[in-house]
Amino acid sequence: MEPSLKTFTIPDELCRRAGIAATWLPINELGVFAYQHVKAHSPDQPSAYGPADASVFKVRQQVILFEPILRKLVNEANGTFLSVQELMSTNSPEFKTELLKLSRQYRSIIRACLENLQDEVMRERGERKEELQNYITIFYSVECVWHLCEILFVDNIPGNVVLPHLLEWVRFHFPKYERKAAKLLAGDLVGLESQPDYWETVIGLLMQGRIEVVRALLRLHSAADSKPFKLVDQTLKAMPIYSIYSGISATEFNLKWKHWLVDTQSKIDAKLFISERHLHLMMRLSVGEETAWNEVQNHCEAWYELLAAWLFYTEPTIKSFELGQYARRCISRMGIALHMRHLDQVLLAAMESDIIQVIKEIQHMSENGWFASHLTDLLYHSGRLDFLDTSEADDLVASRLRECFLLDYGTLLMGHNSLWQVGLSYLDHCPTDGINTIELLITRLPLGSEARAQKIIREAQKRDLPHIVQSICKILGMNSLKRGRIGNALTWALKSRDSGFASVLADKFLREYSTNGKLQCTDLLDNLGSSMLVSDRLVFLGKYFELHKVYQGKNYKEAANLIVSLLASKLTPKYFWSTLLSDALPLLECNELVMSSNDTFTLLHCLEEKCNLPEIQDKIELIRLAAARNLARALTHEAQLN
Amino acid sequence: MTQNVHGTFISEKTNKIRWRPDPFGYSNSFITGSWDNDQNNIKLWNFEENEDDPDIYPFVIKNYPFEGDVTEAKFANPDYFVASSSLGSLYCLKVSSEITGETIITEERSWNKLHRSKNGDASSCTSFGMYESDIVTVGEDGNINLLTAQRKDIVRTIDEADSCSLNCVIFLKFNEILTGNLRGQMKIWDLRSNENKPTTTFMLSGDQIAATSLTFHPTQRHMIVAGDEEGSLTVWDLRQNIFPVNLLSAHSDSVSEIHFHPDHPDQLFSCSSSGELWHWITNRSGTLLNIENVETNPWFSTDSIKNKFEVFMLMPKLHKPINSLDLNRNRVLCSCDNEAIYLINNVNVYN
Repeated sequence: MEPSLKTFTIPDELCRRAGIAATWLPINELGVFAYQHVKAHSPDQPSAYGPADASVFKVRQQVILFEPILRKLVNEANGTFLSVQELMSTNSPEFKTELLKLSRQYRSIIRACLENLQDEVMRERGERKEELQNYITIFYSVECVWHLCEILFVDNIPGNVVLPHLLEWVRFHFPKYERKAAKLLAGDLVGLESQPDYWETVIGLLMQGRIEVVRALLRLHSAADSKPFKLVDQTLKAMPIYSIYSGISATEFNLKWKHWLVDTQSKIDAKLFISERHLHLMMRLSVGEETAWNEVQNHCEAWYELLAAWLFYTEPTIKSFELGQYARRCISRMGIALHMRHLDQVLLAAMESDIIQVIKEIQHMSENGWFASHLTDLLYHSGRLDFLDTSEADDLVASRLRECFLLDYGTLLMGHNSLWQVGLSYLDHCPTDGINTIELLITRLPLGSEARAQKIIREAQKRDLPHIVQSICKILGMNSLKRGRIGNALTWALKSRDSGFASVLADKFLREYSTNGKLQCTDLLDNLGSSMLVSDRLVFLGKYFELHKVYQGKNYKEAANLIVSLLASKLTPKYFWSTLLSDALPLLECNELVMSSNDTFTLLHCLEEKCNLPEIQDKIELIRLAAARNLARALTHEAQLN
Repeated sequence: MTQNVHGTFISEKTNKIRWRPDPFGYSNSFITGSWDNDQNNIKLWNFEENEDDPDIYPFVIKNYPFEGDVTEAKFANPDYFVASSSLGSLYCLKVSSEITGETIITEERSWNKLHRSKNGDASSCTSFGMYESDIVTVGEDGNINLLTAQRKDIVRTIDEADSCSLNCVIFLKFNEILTGNLRGQMKIWDLRSNENKPTTTFMLSGDQIAATSLTFHPTQRHMIVAGDEEGSLTVWDLRQNIFPVNLLSAHSDSVSEIHFHPDHPDQLFSCSSSGELWHWITNRSGTLLNIENVETNPWFSTDSIKNKFEVFMLMPKLHKPINSLDLNRNRVLCSCDNEAIYLINNVNVYN
């Protein structure tokens, strides 16, 4: 594959003059801006480009899957994809049949999408119509290739006789003869052959193997009672058609069929049909006469249409691995080997069972990897890629190949505002790099409202990424802090058990209190419960709030106990000593004795330890005095008790 | 008639889905409110039931572009509904028909940036409750706003009512509301009181688990059920005390919405971020005439609660969160983050 380059021009004068640089924006966008490289030894002088209006250009790849009409396909296929993964994880012995069902489900999703597109095309006009038609072409090819791959690689056809399925496939993609037949049969039945496309339809149907319909149409010919017609009818009726359900083996069938060939050939040689030109041609076709096929091959729109028809009359029991050579023969026969369309090449590769070539080719279908990732995944699970692991030539490994597509596709979806959840479910099924990719991408998702952030957090939790949860919670906490919602910030810190962040916030509460004497968010502090244990500072804050509550409830004894335990706890921040010691004052001076001698000693001990702190210098005398008085009271009281 | 599920992919994630009430019969119309889209929308849908074709194909009658995510939507009556946005605004919208027969949605009244943070950032209006024409809204900014649909001005604001983001609110009485916050703190507010303080505060559980949805029993309004982010349902009887009567671990992920069936109060529906949609039927094993049994509400019975309910999954577990559900007679609507909406017909509500 030769490298393909595309050039985009940034329409900006400054960029043109200065040159550009670019940086990735999360995840699918590139930010392009004017840039002048400055090195250490660049001369220090005013920029030649300033002053100028600088702009940043966001460049992004157009992703057709993000079109609303195609998002249905993305989402619906995601459901099927997850069903495939679920199926494979259950180790069901029936998985082959189930996979086939799911493959059909994928195709029905594509068809539903095509139907939607077709409806939409009717309504639109102009450029948009063209665009939609483009999509139709893309997804039509996707369906076509998928269908063939399903027949050749996913379906488990008994005896490997693929022809009936191939005919079905061709009928589905070239339905015009069947439609015409239906129209002919629904219209005026008298003198049907006078319709201009009567014979074309009959021969077309013959080539698609619709013998019953051909006979029905022939019977409606006004000369149906003539001898050649009757003979043709009999011959076609007698033609053996291979079916796995017919109960005869392929060899037996071949015998019968050869017999029929000889019989029919003798009829042709006896010139029994020569009076009717078309019938003669039909009979010659049915025995595979080269000259006859040369006559009709130009009516075929595609080589594979001819291939199926030709095989039906020459090699009805062909095995799938023989298809390739016949396909090539067909192509050279039609003389199109030099101008094969992309679709033709993919189909040829499929018929040659060259799965790797198919996968290579379908990456160029420009539907942003939807097809390649889903089909590769399906082929991988049906065991069709296993040969990669055993062949030594390449360093290509089946599971890595699959993963590589899923990674690309998942990453692409992660870049969409709404489809990120879908993207995650693809990355989940990448065993090697999936989780690392998720780790990188999930933190780049814009958080938006808390509801959205909660959803992102839960996705991270499900994947057991505590550090991601913590960093998202921290962002939410910082945002709350910026909005002046310190309580909410603390809640986020607690939710992620982020002890560092919780300590910082608890500090903010305490500092705020020590400067203006107001405790914020009392409703929250009142209910901290066991969650306060994440951080010592928070424990201190919680206990200190409790002290306030108890004190306001005039329960001084309890308050004294609390303050002593706070003093002794060694949790007190340095800047808070002054506040805490001052809080002890009223308790020391309380009418009723609430601090025992031991309590007072604890307090004095702390006081002596901290007497160097500058902010308590003016209080130290006062506290000492109060402590001494309380100690006197307490000692007397305790002495009495003893 | 058997129960069947009709799914429709609609190319946007829906946060709220609500039946448009039809006072005379089965409703065939509903609204969806999207989220997380580049351009969010409120869409009015219609569908026709056809006896020949069992499939149902809802189609959009009217698309109303909406700024921000739709965080909540509720119909006041068949013609008016209220919707709140993640940008903190509240809109009262009217559905009406033009003379030409076209259906239109018009803005009847709006409260722009009703909730906002002090630094000017947008703050989501997370939920609102309605009692006749009274509306109470709560938001991430922790404020509670009391409005009335008839007037543009705000009747009352409780500033900084909560130091955490408020997640949900319901009216308990005309003058009483219950709010739930990010930490699972539940507060009852008396709207007549002048103080900006709740009358009662209690916790959903001890573990800082956020309340995500609230509802009350249709006939016994003192009975409250709250769903939380871990997927449990908690039941209170507010007549008695503030301790939960029952705690049911239900879903495996956050409960998105819970609804009692308005006409069949013995039945509850819940949906969850785990992709589950459940139908709870209380088990009436005893006969109705058994006098002892008549008084007990199974949601309140503490002993062997397991036998009192039967839980049905209304559809196979989806792979993405189910955000919203709504009931109309025996039909359930729900919306999921896989950009699809589901209509479930013939739900067995009549037993």
